[in-house]
Amino acid sequence: MADADLVVRNDIRSAMWNPGGWKSLLSFFILALAWLAGFSARLFAVIRFESIIHEFDPWFNYRATHYMVENGFYNFLNWFDDRAWYPLGRIVGGTVYPGLMVTSGSIHWILNLLHIPIHIRDICVFLAPIFSGMTATSVYLFTKEIWSPGAGLFAACFIAIVPGYISRSVAGSYDNEGIAIFALMFTYYLWIKAVKTGQVFWSICAALSYFYMVSAWGGYVFIINLIPLHVFVLLIMGRYSQRIYTAYSCFYIVGLILSMQIPFVGFQPIRTSEHMAAAGVFALINAYAFLKYIQNFLTKSEFRYFFFAAVTIAAAVVFIAVVGLTWAGYIAPWSGRFYSLWDTGYAKIHIPIIASVSEHQPTTWVSFFFDLHILVCAFPVGAWYCIKNVNDERVFVVLYAIFASYFAGVMVRLMLTLTPVVCVLAAIAFSKTFESYLKDDSPKQNQKNADEKGDNKNDRLYDKVGNKKVRDEKPKDEEGLGINVKSIIVVALLMMLMLFAVHCTWVTSSAYSSPSIVLASYGQGGSRTILDDFREAYYWLRQNTDDKARVMSWWDYGYQIAGMGNRTTLVDNNTWNNSHIALVGKAMSSNESAAYEIMRALDVNYVLVIFGGVIGYSGDDINKFLWMVRIAEGEHPRDIREVDYFTPQGEFRVDAAGSKILLNCLMYKLSYYRFGQMQLDFRSPAGFDRTRGVEIGNKNFELTHVEEAYTTEHWLVRIYKVKDLENRSEIKKPHKPVKKSKRKPKRQTVRKPGVIKHSPKVVKGKKVKSPKTTKTPPKTGGKK
Amino acid sequence: MAAYIKLLVFVVIHMFLLVSADVRKKEESLGDKVQQLMEWNNKKSIIRLNGDKFRQYVKASPRNYSVIVMLTALQPQRSCVVCKHANDEFQILANSWRYSQQYSNRLFFALVDYDEGSDVFQSMKLTTAPVFMHFPPKGKQKKADTHDINRNGYAAEMLAKWVGERTDIQIRVFRPPNYSGTVILALLFAMIGGLLYFKRNNLEFLYNKTSWGIISLAIIFAMTSGQMWNHIRGPPVMHRNPNTGQMHYIHGSSQGQFIMETYIVMLLNTAVVVGFIMLNEAQTMKGDPGKKRILSLVGLGCVTIFFSLLLSVFRSKYQGYPYSFLFK
Repeated sequence: MADADLVVRNDIRSAMWNPGGWKSLLSFFILALAWLAGFSARLFAVIRFESIIHEFDPWFNYRATHYMVENGFYNFLNWFDDRAWYPLGRIVGGTVYPGLMVTSGSIHWILNLLHIPIHIRDICVFLAPIFSGMTATSVYLFTKEIWSPGAGLFAACFIAIVPGYISRSVAGSYDNEGIAIFALMFTYYLWIKAVKTGQVFWSICAALSYFYMVSAWGGYVFIINLIPLHVFVLLIMGRYSQRIYTAYSCFYIVGLILSMQIPFVGFQPIRTSEHMAAAGVFALINAYAFLKYIQNFLTKSEFRYFFFAAVTIAAAVVFIAVVGLTWAGYIAPWSGRFYSLWDTGYAKIHIPIIASVSEHQPTTWVSFFFDLHILVCAFPVGAWYCIKNVNDERVFVVLYAIFASYFAGVMVRLMLTLTPVVCVLAAIAFSKTFESYLKDDSPKQNQKNADEKGDNKNDRLYDKVGNKKVRDEKPKDEEGLGINVKSIIVVALLMMLMLFAVHCTWVTSSAYSSPSIVLASYGQGGSRTILDDFREAYYWLRQNTDDKARVMSWWDYGYQIAGMGNRTTLVDNNTWNNSHIALVGKAMSSNESAAYEIMRALDVNYVLVIFGGVIGYSGDDINKFLWMVRIAEGEHPRDIREVDYFTPQGEFRVDAAGSKILLNCLMYKLSYYRFGQMQLDFRSPAGFDRTRGVEIGNKNFELTHVEEAYTTEHWLVRIYKVKDLENRSEIKKPHKPVKKSKRKPKRQTVRKPGVIKHSPKVVKGKKVKSPKTTKTPPKTGGKK
Repeated sequence: MAAYIKLLVFVVIHMFLLVSADVRKKEESLGDKVQQLMEWNNKKSIIRLNGDKFRQYVKASPRNYSVIVMLTALQPQRSCVVCKHANDEFQILANSWRYSQQYSNRLFFALVDYDEGSDVFQSMKLTTAPVFMHFPPKGKQKKADTHDINRNGYAAEMLAKWVGERTDIQIRVFRPPNYSGTVILALLFAMIGGLLYFKRNNLEFLYNKTSWGIISLAIIFAMTSGQMWNHIRGPPVMHRNPNTGQMHYIHGSSQGQFIMETYIVMLLNTAVVVGFIMLNEAQTMKGDPGKKRILSLVGLGCVTIFFSLLLSVFRSKYQGYPYSFLFK
């Protein structure tokens, strides 16, 4: 690309006559177009809504970036965030991958240095689309090393628009993955370069790029396992060489030391099982190199004997060392998230919090096809030809393809790591096919090849057709396939590629471009209404509550409350403390008075729930409620039981047939408070929940310990204030007998004597109580 | 002959004895019942009951022990696959209880097979199997005394949890470590090792790129067609519409899939890949141009037709997908 740049700037005239110059110009041009196409494909959300940070995790990243920009890098590293995980707090500097914040922070700094005033939010929003162009470039470089420049251009165009990558890098989704895929592919490119050349320079570059990857994303573990695997397989295949030795030793040592500089990673690279493969391969390749060296001094038969002895001893020592250290506790076993990749049933049984996250589910073939379309059919072809024409670096691609497809099969989320290799291999397949079918005897074939590639990215059909006609006229005397057959094949393949481009655009616009902070609903005539309830509620929190107020909500909304509302939260999306989450889950699933005790203990001032019953929003808290119950049950099996929240038939229902415990738990009450009086339209009864499509079962209840503070326009977010204790707290005690007594009259169908019978007991001795106790019986009557 | 008659008499007398014993058993006291159950339990951790025994030991009132009964149909002609699995899990649970420290006569595990006690099924108004029921020592059975298989499954851990809820006896499930996986792995390695050893003079096949290519592609095809999803979620092979009797090979929504469907997809993927390879091989192949032309056209046909088939399968699953190729 730099070459091409030079060419453009330098002498255009000489480039005109130099086919190499044309080539660079074209590749530069195509890469620039790929960048542009990738960038603009990711802007749907910005154009439809506005320049806004999306979803959940990005809000934390944005908040952290903002903090870093305002307070400086060192303050950021030492930042103790007392607004999260109340009362525990969170040491942010030590628990994040700072690469993302540092990247956008330095862009901000540079732009400010150049006197370009830009808000940090805009940088955050557009960071991922910009990096997608850099990803495309590094994929081009990678594929160029693996196969050919033509395939590289194809790969760059594919990765620029493939939905599997767009899903994580639309404008506004300010997340680690956005920059990590670039770092991943760039590291792989440098690694391949190092293997090919055997120069220390390239392997140090690879290590530096690996360092950037470590600082950006937890997925660096994929690199540090795949590269050793590559080396290992090369050793087995007998492809050991000095180049590989140099490349791996430099990369491993420098990469290891650099990766330990990230506070969040710390000593993990030498203490956890995930990193042990790399260390083992390092030992192995050194032993192998040593043996090779010894070989010079020994006879063949001696060496053979020595070789076997040495290999057995070395393997035994390594194995015993790893097992012994693991057993002694120096090496931590696999962490749950990684372990669940191998033992696929593990998370489901043991870690509900991992199993509850939707992106940790296995992948159906539909989502493979959805995210990759034609590439999913084409990339095995590339793998096939890489195996057929194998060399050192193609071994790497094949290994990458196999392992990444396994991981993508286990977890939807890891589709992201599969996508680049799919683009590379599919590009190889298409490039190889086009190369053979566009070839003709005239010397200008290269240019036309590249032309085709440029076109299919821009999906301008008329250009392609035009091109073909030019070529059609030329060779008649070809001995191979007739020109008709060739052009039919080329046209058919181009049409499929065009379909791919159209599919990508459609998927991006329809599935991956919703900010989920702002919702849009479409009316009959295509008119659009924007539902901005989330920001409305968070802004209300920011403006109307005390600066130190603590807001309880389910963990999904923790980052948003902190980011937009600037208030203290109890749990958030960094789900590191299961018992704390379970406590919140318990509060949500207990009845009001039990929840009040928990909320008092946690100093909660406000409770925030998401309720979609009015507009039919399906991602609300009632639909997530079973996970709250499940997680609470995991920690408090005595108090919360999942079975209690189902009907006897085992259904989860919120209508009159639903279980009594569900209809009286805090989450239900907070969601449906006053909803029973609301009639949405004339066809449905009052209190008709549009999300679940039922009339709710428990209407007209009052709240004792909390009061409604704010409800947004479409009732999407409801905020409640937790009341202080009553002035006379001793009144609370007689509550229980009264509450117990109310069940008996229920069975006896409102027999007045029952109530009167008990009331003297309660009033006994204390006059003060009578006003308080009289309050409750009518309420219970109302409930019935 | 005499011996024969003697035997007959012996048998007859025994039968009388048995019958009278049976009669006596009915008036058995609580202690005898418990003792009998313990005796059975010493032999087997799950007590097999028929209709009479069920009524006597489980239903009849003087009891101070809980009984967990699995009502099931294990006979092969019932062809109940679930029952087999459930039985294995139940066995694991019962063994964990039988050999645990806290083993006592408070809790027994029993089994009623449909073919031995169909009257039990009728009296309990059961139409499905397997059913897990808890019979508390006192009081009537409640709703929660029947384990809900649909929701909680029949894994031994879930059963143990349910038993713990109902009886306050916490059983720590001890699964006999599953060596079968290890053994198979060891066998596989031994076989590969053996193969290599016997073929040590002719290791050419290790350098055969085609076989390696096929193996790699097989893994990729398996993964991209969602076999891992099948492995984790365990969907049915296909679905039979109960009303029309029509077979559905393809799941209607994009959230799920049938096993048959994934095979179809895998085949389609493979066909497209084979088509692509044919396209490329046609160029490099030596021979007369006619053959080359045919091969390349067949390759193209493979690619386009099977890809558009795949696209239309996808379209049928993904509502509102606007594009199609060649045919709908």
